[in-house]
Amino acid sequence: MGMDRARRRTDERPALRPVEFHILLSLAAGERHGYGIIQDIEARGETMVPDVGTMYRALARMLESGLIEAAARRRAPDADDERRNYYRITDGGRRAAKTEARRLEMLMRAARIEGLLPKETK
Amino acid sequence: MSRSRLMTVSERWFRLLLCLYPVDFRDDMGDAVVEAYRDRARDALSRGGLTRLVSVWLYALFDSLRNGSGERARPAASWRRSGNWGRDAELVTRRLLRARAFTAATLATLTLGLGMFAVVYTAVHKILIAPMPYRDSGDLYYVWRDYGPNLDLKKGALAGSDIAALQQAGGVIEGAVGLQRFLGGIFSLREDTDPMEIAVTVTSPALFDLLGITPALGRGFARNEVGPGHPLVIVLTHELWNRLGADPATVGRDVRLNGRPYTVLGVMPPGFRFVRNEPIGPAQRVDAYVTFEVNLAETNPKAAACSGLIRARRGTAPEAVAAAVEAVGRAVDERDFSGRGLKLYPVGLKTDLVARARPALLVLVAAGLVLALMLTVNLASVLLARAAQREHEFTVSRALGANDGAVMRAMLLEGGLLGLLGGALGALAAVWGTRALVAVAPLDLPRREAIAIDWGIAGAVILLGLLLGLLAASVPALWAARTSLSFLLASSAVRGGGGHGRMRRGMIVAQVALSLVLLSSGGLVVRSFERLLRADPGFKPEGLFTVRVRTPPEFFPKPNDAIGFQDRIQAALAALPGVTGAGAASTLPLIATTGQTTITIPGAPGNTGDAERDALLVDVIAARAGYVEVMGMRLLAGRAFEESRPSGVFEAIVDSNLARRFFPGANALGARIPYEKDWLTIVGVVEQARLYDVHQDGRPELYVRAEDWGVRPLFYVVRTERPPHTLLPEVQAAVRRIDTRVAVGDPRTMEQIVDDTLRQQKTSAALIVAFALGALLLAAMGLFGVVSASVTRRRHELAVRLALGADHPRVLRLVLREGALLVGVGVLIALPGIYAAGRLIRGVLVGVSPSDPLTLLAVTLGLALVTLLTCYVPARRVLTIEPAQLLRQ
Repeated sequence: MGMDRARRRTDERPALRPVEFHILLSLAAGERHGYGIIQDIEARGETMVPDVGTMYRALARMLESGLIEAAARRRAPDADDERRNYYRITDGGRRAAKTEARRLEMLMRAARIEGLLPKETK
Repeated sequence: MSRSRLMTVSERWFRLLLCLYPVDFRDDMGDAVVEAYRDRARDALSRGGLTRLVSVWLYALFDSLRNGSGERARPAASWRRSGNWGRDAELVTRRLLRARAFTAATLATLTLGLGMFAVVYTAVHKILIAPMPYRDSGDLYYVWRDYGPNLDLKKGALAGSDIAALQQAGGVIEGAVGLQRFLGGIFSLREDTDPMEIAVTVTSPALFDLLGITPALGRGFARNEVGPGHPLVIVLTHELWNRLGADPATVGRDVRLNGRPYTVLGVMPPGFRFVRNEPIGPAQRVDAYVTFEVNLAETNPKAAACSGLIRARRGTAPEAVAAAVEAVGRAVDERDFSGRGLKLYPVGLKTDLVARARPALLVLVAAGLVLALMLTVNLASVLLARAAQREHEFTVSRALGANDGAVMRAMLLEGGLLGLLGGALGALAAVWGTRALVAVAPLDLPRREAIAIDWGIAGAVILLGLLLGLLAASVPALWAARTSLSFLLASSAVRGGGGHGRMRRGMIVAQVALSLVLLSSGGLVVRSFERLLRADPGFKPEGLFTVRVRTPPEFFPKPNDAIGFQDRIQAALAALPGVTGAGAASTLPLIATTGQTTITIPGAPGNTGDAERDALLVDVIAARAGYVEVMGMRLLAGRAFEESRPSGVFEAIVDSNLARRFFPGANALGARIPYEKDWLTIVGVVEQARLYDVHQDGRPELYVRAEDWGVRPLFYVVRTERPPHTLLPEVQAAVRRIDTRVAVGDPRTMEQIVDDTLRQQKTSAALIVAFALGALLLAAMGLFGVVSASVTRRRHELAVRLALGADHPRVLRLVLREGALLVGVGVLIALPGIYAAGRLIRGVLVGVSPSDPLTLLAVTLGLALVTLLTCYVPARRVLTIEPAQLLRQ
């Protein structure tokens, strides 16, 4: 019952939230632990880096809705070799990320046409 | 601090912050969150040292506060955490909709009960609890005189000189004003046009400042607009201004009061409904305010006719105010009463105003609470019965894995939903209920116009409904949750049994007891009301019509002009078609406004020789010839005042109390009473026409001839064979023919006046009886349900009994005995309740003892009869049991 409800919700969801898209972007490149994802986001130059709490709430929801899954807990070389929970993107997550990327691209194109962004120079 | 130590501290802090998140999130994600923070903390420490670390700590705190509460509020998560309330609510709604009859009946009961409670609660809240609409109204006090040994008068008016003394007192007394009835309020916008009767209060200019209210139009009185020779000024209430056409240009204009020009200074705001509290009788409505034309300090201290209102310094304790007022009182006593023990004392403004209505209201609240309790028990028993029908469902759902929590939740939801709806409907019903109450409420009920439901009260009633529903549902919920599975399966196999029987019977007993308590109070109140209705007030109110026609000195400066005018009015009224007689007096019975004086009768046989005890405070009524006869008062000896006035003799009539006091067993006729530097001669003795209460004598009464003393009577009374109120147009026309300057005020039949006096008792009697009957109905319904269920449950047993040779009447008695036992136990339990209720209502009972055996017996028998009848109806079903058929099934 709970799963049904949650899944229905994913399908109905029109767009991923920015934090969710960021997470999927990071995981698309490979498995990451939580702080790693945050560092990725910082590296991308995002001005609104999500709080730890915000990100883990997003992770919890995405786990629940099947966009991502937990990978094996293992030592993290970038965290003094302490053990960390790693996450991995699912096929559904990849699809959702692609859809979102396409949507953003479309928006971008529209923004160029409307002159909100400089025209692409090829 | 070492780096690793700092990391440990950080980790503790982050773990602590985790508590802000809901537990399930903590379980799933907590470690990961702490780890991420650790990573961030380590980065911070290596990059920026301790300051950077501390900022991470702070950042983590804000983050956890925000996301923790966000996660708690997340709908899906909260559902996961606390169970599926939404789904339960859906199921309960569906179940209630399916059982329409049950839902409708329950809601109707709740609506009625809670509605009635809401009406009473509203009245009590608005009258007794809500503060008066003045600035810091808790610091306002009325001040009264206690004459102590001087006179048998514990609550008397103040003299103007007392007010002046209070004004000069200073200290905690910030301000004091006097309030006095203005004699003759014939008001017109222009000279000699459309005169109307209004109620005017004479006051000190500081009244509005004292109350903290500023006029809506124009201004209030200036400090110097008082005393002899000041220009005449008047402030109108909003109602009066509306009656005059609501013309803003009224302010600044000259209007006429008793023919004299007054300048309108201002108009008070619409909500301003100040009443003037009087030492006796109800508070008086005010239409307009004028200021004293005398210097209060120079008034006669023996002529006490003012109400005194003071404001204490903000937040002064009542004891301190009392001490300050008493100090002023001692000074007044020294100065004006040569220290014979006169006292002044303050009473809170609201306390003083509601003193008369308070006991009855408290009784009503108590009755309302008992009714609410009764509703709870009733709802509980109804819900329990419903739960019993669903035993099978519970068993199955628990067999399928529903836990205690789920079963309880469903029950609580059902009760809560019903209670909530009932509360909302009750509040809605109370909107009309309060209007109805205001319509029937006594006219002098304090703050009558303020009685209306507001959002706060509606919210309170809805909340009460919810609480009541939850409380009621908790009984079956506990039962359903506690009952063991095997027991449920076993008993539901025979369908309709169950261990709830004892609980349900207990609740019936409680209902019977509670309703008997209410019924006994209701019975006593009704008996007391009936006493009042049958009480003989000392006159015959039927067929009497009264009006007030003033004879202001401004229009009739010489006493003989006034007497001539009064003669003409009285004659004109007596000559109206269908009128058999007319009279006039300075006051009417039961309206409780008259002057008092102290009399002595030198040489009377009843004198004790102790000068203080032989002076008697009496009510003085100035009456014209014909009054005693027209009123239908009973003459015990001598004669009434006659048309012709003997010269040189001032006649008086005394009531039997006065006669008995001074002339025990002797003839009072012919005795002489010193009165205003002259002598009265007693020509008649009458039975008292009661001035205050219908059922008991007030002070002794002394009637003097109005004409002898230049008293200008206010009230004309005519006795007619027609319906009295139809006389008004003719009375008005007759008065206008005689003088166009005066107006006819306060047209009422004497029966209306009697009615108004009884209104409060009537209203509270009606409400209490309604409560009591509602309670009886609830108890009867509950009993019906229990007996009915018991017959169903015991069908097999009864069939076996019948098959074994018991006859039907015997089985019927068996079932009836069960009901009778419940009633009997209920009655026994009710006894202390009846005693307590009797003590509570003693104050509002008239002529009936709170333990009146006849009433209590009748009520108990009535209850027993009704409840046994309700047992009998379902019990009769045993007669239809066909043992052979039933046992074969």
